[in-house]
Amino acid sequence: MISTADKIAWELRGIRKTFGPVVANDNVSLVLRRGQIHGLVGENGSGKSTLIRALCGAHQPDAGTILHEGQPVRLDSPLAARALGIATVFQEFSLVPHITVAENIFLGRWPGRYLHVDWKDMREAASRVLATFEIDISPDAVVRDLPVAQQQLAEIAKAMAANAGVVILDEPTSALGPRETDHLHDLLRRMRDGGAAILYISHHLDEVVRLCDVVTVMRNGRVVSTADETPLDVSGIILLMIGKGVTEHYPKVHSEPGEVLLEVHDIATEAGVRGVSFSVRRGEVLGLWGMLGSGRSEIARALFGVDPLTAGEIRLHGRTLRIHGPSDAIAAGIALLAENRKTDGLFFNFTGTENITVANLGEFDRGLWLDVRREHEVSRQLIDRLQVTPEAEFELVDRLSGGTQQKILVARWLAAGAEIFILDEPTQGIDIGTKVAIYHLINEFTSAGKGVILISSDDKELLAMADRVAIVRRGRIVRIAKAGELVKSDLLESSEERMRAA
Amino acid sequence: MIRWLANPLVGPAIATIVVALLVMSTTDRFLMPGNLNNLALQVSIVALVAIGSTAVIFIGGIDLSPGSAIALLTMLLACMLKFWGISFWPAIVLTLLSGAGIGVLNGFITAYLRIPAFITTLAGFSAYRGLAFMFNKGSPVFSASDRLEPLFYGSLFGIPLPLIYMVVFFAIAYWLMRYTRLGRSIYAVGGNANAAHLSGINVRRTQLYAFVIAGFMAAVGAVLMAARLNSGSPNYGAGLELQAIAAAVIGGASLVGGRGAVLATLFGALTITIVQNGLNLNAVPTSTQNVVIGVIIVLAVGIDMWRGEFGRLVGFRRVGGPAGHAATREGEKP
Repeated sequence: MISTADKIAWELRGIRKTFGPVVANDNVSLVLRRGQIHGLVGENGSGKSTLIRALCGAHQPDAGTILHEGQPVRLDSPLAARALGIATVFQEFSLVPHITVAENIFLGRWPGRYLHVDWKDMREAASRVLATFEIDISPDAVVRDLPVAQQQLAEIAKAMAANAGVVILDEPTSALGPRETDHLHDLLRRMRDGGAAILYISHHLDEVVRLCDVVTVMRNGRVVSTADETPLDVSGIILLMIGKGVTEHYPKVHSEPGEVLLEVHDIATEAGVRGVSFSVRRGEVLGLWGMLGSGRSEIARALFGVDPLTAGEIRLHGRTLRIHGPSDAIAAGIALLAENRKTDGLFFNFTGTENITVANLGEFDRGLWLDVRREHEVSRQLIDRLQVTPEAEFELVDRLSGGTQQKILVARWLAAGAEIFILDEPTQGIDIGTKVAIYHLINEFTSAGKGVILISSDDKELLAMADRVAIVRRGRIVRIAKAGELVKSDLLESSEERMRAA
Repeated sequence: MIRWLANPLVGPAIATIVVALLVMSTTDRFLMPGNLNNLALQVSIVALVAIGSTAVIFIGGIDLSPGSAIALLTMLLACMLKFWGISFWPAIVLTLLSGAGIGVLNGFITAYLRIPAFITTLAGFSAYRGLAFMFNKGSPVFSASDRLEPLFYGSLFGIPLPLIYMVVFFAIAYWLMRYTRLGRSIYAVGGNANAAHLSGINVRRTQLYAFVIAGFMAAVGAVLMAARLNSGSPNYGAGLELQAIAAAVIGGASLVGGRGAVLATLFGALTITIVQNGLNLNAVPTSTQNVVIGVIIVLAVGIDMWRGEFGRLVGFRRVGGPAGHAATREGEKP
């Protein structure tokens, strides 16, 4: 490789940022070179988001310098950052849902003058952008009609269409399946080869190792390993991230499955579940594997009463359940840890305690009043048991980290006394430490004789943590096998078949 | 350290005090017993109706209909007493039930037929006043009953009755919102309706109940209005819905839903009424009064929102964890 000293596009030097007493970034330095994909990793709360917010102009560091092509610059607004060629793809979508992809791509800079907008021009330009990045979405599609994965790709197209010299991607693959992820990675590699500087932030370390040329590791607001030092292997990076070795990444405890707890017979829903049958025993983890849109989340929704059954039956303890809505499912002892914490799980106007007890208010209802003292007792016990930070009891949940929020949702279902836990992508977007804590919880569920249905896009996680895996394709279960008898390629093949069939 | 600043009652209470001090500085008559008594009577109807508006705002809705509902209900009450020979207490009870019925209608259309609350109650705003004009050929009904006025002008142990109604209803509202399952469900639905559904809360029924509270409180306001003037009129209550919403908003209730405190609405109503009272004492014309109220609404909501940013500047509250999501709006605990 040629010397890269002259290829420095952006440099951050000694960045410091505090929020009240909390030091989010402490003397952080980072160099972004053209033609390089730079990985940025660290646990939740390690200061990655704070750092990129400084770089994209969302806030001002308290100290430190940002240099563009060797010159110090002041990024006092996102617009200023954009003007200097910084494009950012955030975890949360910034697309306007009810207008077209083309309109979104050129949002804020529609071609034309004054009141006139050159729609044809814009459409063609958007088509070119999408074609360049080989993104197979119609520019005329209205964003809200697209599946989440395609929205994510449109988001990326929007960021890149601005002809950016630097692209920052914050967890870009959390909504993408393996194929879309590969696709995105190809795209990023081509952009790198074209001379772009890319900053890639992800919790998926194997992705980072595969994709990135160099990796910076952050912990507690500081850089603990610079781009020059970090080894490009997963266990080495984990070690740096958490500061100690993880002896077991997937601490699966095999417990002997007991009697059959849940039986699902030939169920169907209008959301596309077709003739699905399976059973879950006490102490067993059944994995559900499938691509985005395969129907795995829809099966969860059917069990939880969100989508009404059009055929079939669900039995728990041998009794047929009549489920007309989530409240019936909860009363029967079924819990759904929804895939999207923010939209389907958390109440941001509630404290941790109120979030924990909300699915089980009946237990505290004394007719004319809620037994608030008892409510806090229950919440304190669960906070203790799940090793949640104690301040969660009285703090609003938007002040808590993503991992803590996830634990609070688990606590909710423990409080509700669930027998069957449906976990839909429970480890998505949370750091390794909390992931392992969630795995331990799964073990705790099974050793307590509960049944777990684990939905995950992470094949390693699924094969390691599930006892049996059901492969879902187009709303049907096409195969159920012991996890030990499956390898990754079995799972991926199922998706390939789906892609061919589609 | 100065954590009490975060209490949702503090901002609205300070607003009330500041406004009262300002009025006091312009006129000595403000603190005269006659005026304070007058103030209590004035604030009572707005404050009581605003309890209902606040409940609807908590679920993320809005209620534009109580002013018109009050017109309809005063006509109903006056007709029952004067023309239809219904005796006093049954007529009062029927009026309150009719108010709850209006709430059921608003709530059913909004929650079960999924018409947005703004639209439903905008329709009600028009229709209920229209219905009021269908009674007594559209003419007001005067001298409805001798027993009506004491409900408003009477007193118990020397305390004016409207003050007692306010204490009672705000106490009930506080308890309902804070210490009952319904109150918790209202905050949950307003905070995240999706998550509430997935937590087993009956979202539609909760929304319906919020409207029933609003309809019932409008009826309480209607009874007091009719008692105050011993009459019913299709013109009563005009603009009251906006005053009630303003009271809730000045009290810090978030129009997005799920955030706010019902007691703060009392301070919101007090603030508005004290301003009006002060301007009246200084003989300021109504037109100017309306402009002043407008300015106060913006200031009150602004101060409430900026409070959080001010707090962050002086660093007394940790906000949003190390990642420091700048976007977290300062919320109040229910």
